[in-house]
Parts: sequence; structure tokens; C-alpha cells
Amino acid sequence: MALQELCNFQDIFQDSITTLCSSVPFGRKTGCDYVSGLPFSNRTNLFNFFTPVAEYLDESPIQFGQISTIQSSSAISSQDSILSSLAVPTSLPLASSQSVPLPFPMSHGTTTLAFMFQGGVLAAADTRSSCSGLVACPASQKILPIHSHLVGTTSGTSADCALWKRILARELRLYQLRHGRRLSTSGAAKLLSHMLHPFKGTELCVAATLCGWDGGEVDGGAKTDLSGRRETTKSQMTDLEKTSLAETKTQSSASITGGQQCSARKRVSLSGPSLCYVCSDGTRLQGALFSVGSGSPYAYSILDQGVRWGLTVDEATSIAREAVYRATHRDAYSGNCVDVYHISSKGWIRRSREDLKEEYYREKERQERRERQDVTPPE
Amino acid sequence: MFDGVERKIEFLHGTTTLAFKFQHGVIVAVDSRATAGSYIASQTVKKVIEINPYLLGTMAGGAADCSFWERLLARQCRIYELRNKERISVAAASKLLANMVYQYKGMGLSMGTMVCGWDKRGPGLYYVDSEGNRVCGDLFAVGSGSMYAYGVMDSGLQHDLSVEEACELGRRAIYQATFRDAYSGGQVNLYHVHSEGWTRVSQEDVLMLHQQYKDQA
Repeated sequence: MALQELCNFQDIFQDSITTLCSSVPFGRKTGCDYVSGLPFSNRTNLFNFFTPVAEYLDESPIQFGQISTIQSSSAISSQDSILSSLAVPTSLPLASSQSVPLPFPMSHGTTTLAFMFQGGVLAAADTRSSCSGLVACPASQKILPIHSHLVGTTSGTSADCALWKRILARELRLYQLRHGRRLSTSGAAKLLSHMLHPFKGTELCVAATLCGWDGGEVDGGAKTDLSGRRETTKSQMTDLEKTSLAETKTQSSASITGGQQCSARKRVSLSGPSLCYVCSDGTRLQGALFSVGSGSPYAYSILDQGVRWGLTVDEATSIAREAVYRATHRDAYSGNCVDVYHISSKGWIRRSREDLKEEYYREKERQERRERQDVTPPE
Repeated sequence: MFDGVERKIEFLHGTTTLAFKFQHGVIVAVDSRATAGSYIASQTVKKVIEINPYLLGTMAGGAADCSFWERLLARQCRIYELRNKERISVAAASKLLANMVYQYKGMGLSMGTMVCGWDKRGPGLYYVDSEGNRVCGDLFAVGSGSMYAYGVMDSGLQHDLSVEEACELGRRAIYQATFRDAYSGGQVNLYHVHSEGWTRVSQEDVLMLHQQYKDQA
């Protein structure tokens, strides 16, 4: 749901509440209510809540934090210049072609990864925030929980990621309150992608992988065979070694089963682990394994070797830790500690943060021990 | 990087070459794909140049630059051998190469090579490039797929690997790089440099390796 829609409606309708509103599903596209055919104006109580974000969405995002070149260049007095700067936003295009002076140099160095396996989704990331050469924060959080069953890894500009994750969390909560069920991971990804779309072409940089476990609030009994079927098709789909021909076959069979389920139940939600990658340039991909950031190539090769559907939680955790460790070893912009989150049907669990320096010393020790054993002659 | 110099020849920046030292010598593994933009010009390029029976050089960057200068290096090494009645060391050979290309620094040469051999001091591995870098090390990977190879090699490399294990590590590292990097592919050419010289261990198609690793998993 686009926040712009809310912003547009805010100043139009100020009518009183009607009792029908609470039972009516929120329809965005049509102007009329499905059930009773009432016009929009009777459902305004849904819009009468505070949207602090609205103001900044009205004005161009380029105006944000920018050292105003208009004020400095003009010879107008200070009062007039403030007025002129307020008038300016409406005339400037959203995507400015001239380069914006940033307050400080920014870098997108990080290593984050996420993959699906039988036990859910595993997400791991390093904890270094860098500012082109300076380690701004050695203990930052790059995996942000969005709700109990959804976690997002962040890459790109930390501030942008943190803000948009919070906005996404709010929107998902609103969806849950309105519809009585959690939005699926791919739905959340689509939502995030649409929210970021107006900022395409600007300096905004968000590359997030949303990792979650989809599952309805309905009783687990009805859902289990659904999830079983979904997971078997998923396991066929996520087996990376399948030839392209086989993949298209399983995808079409998955869509057929999805269609059958849709016809059987009105409110169906396929449950199981789910992983989506969303980028501020518009990319939205669903997959089984993603790694984002400057350290991602190093992590990819480790993950490609080890990740299979049938891993246990411990094996998966150790592969994820190893991949982040190797990436932090080679990439200058990744380092310090590693965070590992595991998302299962019960929600997300966070492992305690581990300092990779310790891992490095442990490995060195192991190497030295092996070399010493090598040197002593066998008896 | 090199402004004002027109590039008409094919460049092999899109490649993955690696070499590492271990207790039984040096393993050299390379892919065999050559790309011109997004067109795959060849899948059977020889990226390991046999300088002499105990020295190997890898090729990354401009194919012509690499093969020409390494042939010149072979000539210089032979002259050294005849004059001094002993084999040239890896350090000296890499120094000769580095000094040769340094004279042309800034003129548009593109070469990133690893000189690998076995001399009196044991296994030798040097990275030499057209910028003038000459670095001694235990482990190098050069090319667009190098980052993928580093991940695999770092996690698997120990000093006391057997020859078989080391060859498998090199092969796996190149395979993983070809899996993720679009500009690397073709075959994996594997060489082993030991005290008696170098031997060509294997040449395997990446697709065969894909099947093999899939069956193993």
C-alpha cells in the first residue's frame, strides 16, 4: 500500500465514523465498497491516523539534508530566501540530474547472506559500518527483525535501510490488523519494492533480503499438508543443480497446485520458508540463496559448495559463519563480528554475536598445531 | 586507467587463474574462457604458459602481452642458465619479468601473471603485473572470478595437504568461480610444480565437474 495514497486522501475527507467500516475490507483500487456500495467518504476513519512520514514524501527527497545551493547563490535577504526555498520543491523534479553534495562520503561495504533449507531460513551478516576507509561503527546491526517471522538483512546506506525497514514493519502490522493474517514474504517484498520505486534514480540505496516463514494464523492441522506439498515443490525448485528444463516443469506443477489450493480455500497462504531480495533500483527476486555486498563473492563460493536443502540447523549455521568469516578475511569493508539469525516456524532466533578475531586466532592455532605435528617425525 | 590508448586486442581480465603453495610444491589452476565484451570468443584458451620445464606462468589481462613477455622471459632464463651453469631461481625470473615490463609502465600493457616454480629454496610463487607490482606469496588468484576462488581456497588451504587434495582444492576453487562469474568457464587446466619440474595434472570440462559435484552432494 503506497503511503502516497494515504497522503492524498488526508485532506479530502473528514467525515464521521460509520459502523460498517470495521467489517469492510480495505479496497485500494476501487472507489466503492464491495459489500454495500457506499462511496469512499464513509470509510475515512481509516485514514485519520498520524502519518509523520507524509510531510517528507511531499517534498523532493533531494531537498533532504542538502546544503542549499539556492540560498547561497541568491542575493536575497534571509527571510525571502527561506520563502523561496519553500516554494522551490514543487518546481524541482524528483530525480535531479545534477549530483547532490552528500554530507559525508558513503560506502556500501558489507557482507550479508541468507539461504533456505529444511529447517527454515538462515541469515547472517557482518557488523562493520564503513565510511570509505573509516570504520564508523564496528558493532552495527545489519539484520533487522521486522516482525516475529520476518527478518531483513540490510546492505547499502545504513540510514536508508533502517528507515525503510521501520516503515515496512509498520505497514505489515497495519496489514495484519486489517486482514487478520500476516502478509507473506513475497508480499512484503513487493510492498517494499513499490515503496522504494518513487526514489528510483536518486541517491537512495537499499539492498535487502527479506527472510521469513510464511504461515497463516489458522489452525496448524489444515496447513500442514499444504506446507508439506509446498516444501516438496520448494525442495525441487531450490535444488540449484536441477537443469533448466526440470525447473520449468516443477514451477508449472507448483503453480497448478497453487491454483487448486486457491480454488479449494478462499484464504489460502502457502506456508514454509521464503526468501526475497529487494533492491532500490527496482530488482525483486525470489530465490533460495542470496548474498549481498562487497564481500558477497567470497561468501558465494563457500555457500555454493555447502548449501543443500537437507542441512541441519547446526550445519547451516556453521556454513553461514564460515562464509561471513572468509568474506571478512578478504574484504576490507567487512569485518568485526558476525550475527546469525535463524527463522523457523516458531519465529526468529538470534545467536549471540561472535567476534571473528577469535575465529582467526583459533584457526591460526590449528594451523600451527598441524605444522608442528608435521615437523615431528612419525614414529 | 590507460586513457588515450586504444584497445584493439582481446583482453582476458575476464578470467580466473589461481596458484598456491603447499608442502609438495605449487598448484596452478586456470579456466579457459576468453570473452570480447559479452561474446565468448573461445572456450579453449591456454592460460598457462610453460616458460621452461620447471617454471610456469599464468595469463590474465592481454593475451598477446602475456604470451609475448613470457616467451621473452623464457629466452632470458635460458641465457641465464647458459651463462651461470645453473637454473634460474623463481625470484630472479620474476624480477627479470617485472623489470622488463616496468620500462613500459603507463604505455598500455595489461598483464597480471603468476610466476610459479621450484628452486633451491623450495616452491616459489610470485605475482607480477604490468603496473610494476611484484609480490611473493603463498596464495594468489587473479581475474574477475578471483574473489569467488579466494573463498574456497581460504577455507580449504592447509600446509599439509596431499597432492590429490591440493589438486581437488584448486579444481573446486576454479569450478566455483566459473559457477558464479560469467566471464570464466570452459575447462579447468591443472598443473603441479614439484622438485623435478611441472606436470600437467588434468584438464576437465566445467560442466563435467558440475555433474560430478552434484552426484557427490
